[in-house]
Amino acid sequence: MSAAGLSVGQPLEAPAKPRFKMTPSILLLGLLGLLLLLAIARVVSGANDITSAGTFSAALGLAVPIGLAGLGGLWSERSGVVNIGLEGMMILGTWFGAWGALQFGSPWAGVIAGAIGGALGGVIHAVATVTFGVDHIISGVAINIVGLGVTEYLSKLVFEGMKGGGAKQSPRIPAMGTASIPGIGDPLKTIESKHWFFVSDLAGLISGLTQNVSWFTILAVLLVPLTFYLLWRTAFGLRIRSCGERPVAAESLGVNVYLYKWIAVVVSGGLAGLGGAFLSIVASQLYRDGQTGGRGFIGLAAMIFGNWRPGGLAAGAALFGYTDALQLRQGGVSVHALLLVVAMLLALVAVYQLVRQERIRAAVITFVVAALVLAWFLLTDTVPEQFTSVTPHITTLLVLSLASQRLRMPAADGIPYRRGHAG
Amino acid sequence: MRLIAGLAVAAVVLGAAGCGGGSSTDTAASPSGSGTGKPPLRVGLAYDIGGRGDQSFNDSAAAGLDKAKKDFGITDSKELEANQGETDAQKEERLRLLAEGGYTPIIAVGFAYAGPLKKVASEFPDTKFAIVDDQSTLAGNITNLVFAEEQGSFLVGAAAALKSVKNNVGFVGGVQVPLIKKFEVGYIQGVKHQKPDVQVQVKYLTQPPDFSGFGDPAKGKAAAQGMYDSGADIVYQAAGGSGGGVFEAAKAAGAWAIGVDSDQAKTADPAVRDRILTSMVKKVDVAVYDFIKNNVDGTVKSGPIVYDLAKGGVDYATTGGHINDIVPQLEELKKQIISGQIKVASS
Repeated sequence: MSAAGLSVGQPLEAPAKPRFKMTPSILLLGLLGLLLLLAIARVVSGANDITSAGTFSAALGLAVPIGLAGLGGLWSERSGVVNIGLEGMMILGTWFGAWGALQFGSPWAGVIAGAIGGALGGVIHAVATVTFGVDHIISGVAINIVGLGVTEYLSKLVFEGMKGGGAKQSPRIPAMGTASIPGIGDPLKTIESKHWFFVSDLAGLISGLTQNVSWFTILAVLLVPLTFYLLWRTAFGLRIRSCGERPVAAESLGVNVYLYKWIAVVVSGGLAGLGGAFLSIVASQLYRDGQTGGRGFIGLAAMIFGNWRPGGLAAGAALFGYTDALQLRQGGVSVHALLLVVAMLLALVAVYQLVRQERIRAAVITFVVAALVLAWFLLTDTVPEQFTSVTPHITTLLVLSLASQRLRMPAADGIPYRRGHAG
Repeated sequence: MRLIAGLAVAAVVLGAAGCGGGSSTDTAASPSGSGTGKPPLRVGLAYDIGGRGDQSFNDSAAAGLDKAKKDFGITDSKELEANQGETDAQKEERLRLLAEGGYTPIIAVGFAYAGPLKKVASEFPDTKFAIVDDQSTLAGNITNLVFAEEQGSFLVGAAAALKSVKNNVGFVGGVQVPLIKKFEVGYIQGVKHQKPDVQVQVKYLTQPPDFSGFGDPAKGKAAAQGMYDSGADIVYQAAGGSGGGVFEAAKAAGAWAIGVDSDQAKTADPAVRDRILTSMVKKVDVAVYDFIKNNVDGTVKSGPIVYDLAKGGVDYATTGGHINDIVPQLEELKKQIISGQIKVASS
């Protein structure tokens, strides 16, 4: 997260070619292409679970907390405040979400309480970093510790007295409703069970994303375009981003930098809190001490993966959620099939490097790696358990390492800002 | 300074926000004055992550202590808890704190204490120690309270095989450590002993040193759902706090789950209890109680004490009556294991 990553790229070479622009049609084509690769891998390996409705549904559920934490990180870092305290804010969200849902007997009360709980973490971070100018990392780490301690204390105080609860976990939380697009559930299930090439895979995807989706998930997904709209299409968002790029310039134009940073950091906490609330209310239906398991940090990674943009962040969260669902559901078999997908993708990259970029050496290296992965796929039947549980992390790392040269963080991210100290 | 001020503010704010919740209850964890007459036993207990209130094996140890305190009139006991992600040095410090406080016997709950206990026990040769779930740490003043989890798991495995309609069952382990491996190995052997053609799906949620797999119900739910989706109708969980997620998945799929450590058809949330076929009960409370009793009687022995089926240290639960029809078969298997006719492997 240092400035070192910035100097690696060669921005001056770029203007020669027209910049690649992601349009909805290219995105759709890309996704269909990816699904095609998955379909090939499924048919070749027989690992039917890699495109099943259950996997896509689980992937969505696993991606949401990470995506929400990432969105939280995005708001904060776009205003120039590094937020490593996402994990702590998420922990607050898990506890407050569970408490709100139980206290008021409605999961939606929990959603609001979770957001408020996380926002309280955001308030601490804002007080420390914006008002008092404390180092962002130190404050963030402190919040992670405080979040853990405070929830432990509160659990003893509140959940221990409840029936079925204890010092470490809450009673079961009332279930939240789900939504389905009516009329297509059963036909899709039938098509999926035929295991036709591509058609069944597409049916699995659609079925997983449209059937029995929690309302909270829909809310979380909608927050991605909403964030994009607010930060990139409104004056308010422009001011927040200007605080992250060049606060002194923003100040000279009359922007109240402290105020905007405050708002962004508190919203950041609220979003991370929502991610925590999703974990306790929807994903687990109970609060459990330590249930975030580092998802706040993964969310931060997803944000960097997405180049500090909402769309990329959502893609990062989805990738992580999907690979996590694969390894959790069918472990070795599914991850083994994934190897074939990786091999095919790498081969495509090699062709691209050779034909479009004319980077022969890079193409050869990529091709050799693709061949090695293919050999691994062909020579084994399954992937050892020790490896499968880190599949999401390795996949994310792989994509990051391929894309890292293009990343650009907000210019003033992490740099303490003091009003009136313009040089 | 600013940071401290900030944190202080935060603590106050959060504390106030949490107070609206409900009643507070204190556990009797504080040391009180010494008793009268003969020198009373002062018992120290160091919990693993989770501590009192984990609705699992820490709670079970606490129950053993509570019973012993009542039966033997022990008034002075001290209980300390481990924290998420702590180091061995912190565990050492906890044991040392108890030993220096003059507590004896001291019971370390959980295999995570193995390394730290080895060090501390040699520093305090006059203090009696016990460790639950570990038999690698041997010394003259250490009693190892271990369980034959594989035997209990064998029985619930046999029960799963008998009850499975689809001939497909699952096992969800929290973290792939040797202790949890014992559950898996015994379970699979039990399944195959009863019906060799039943397929067993196995999943561990995390790999050491990442121990979050014992406290992540969302992952437990996703893993169990995957198993039910691919044809399993019974899933056995040895995943600590993640087990709640397995029960949720069983509830959603209308399938069965098997509980662990305590009789979870009694301890789990009422909404999911009807999905719990049986539980592999591991009586940590009995082991802790026995150890304190031996200390009272002055008959404490060092080295491993294995709580197996014969000793009643492990067993299967029949709460709910879902396996009443196969109890005779399970009892027969139990007899054969006790008599040595069936040998259950542990790794």
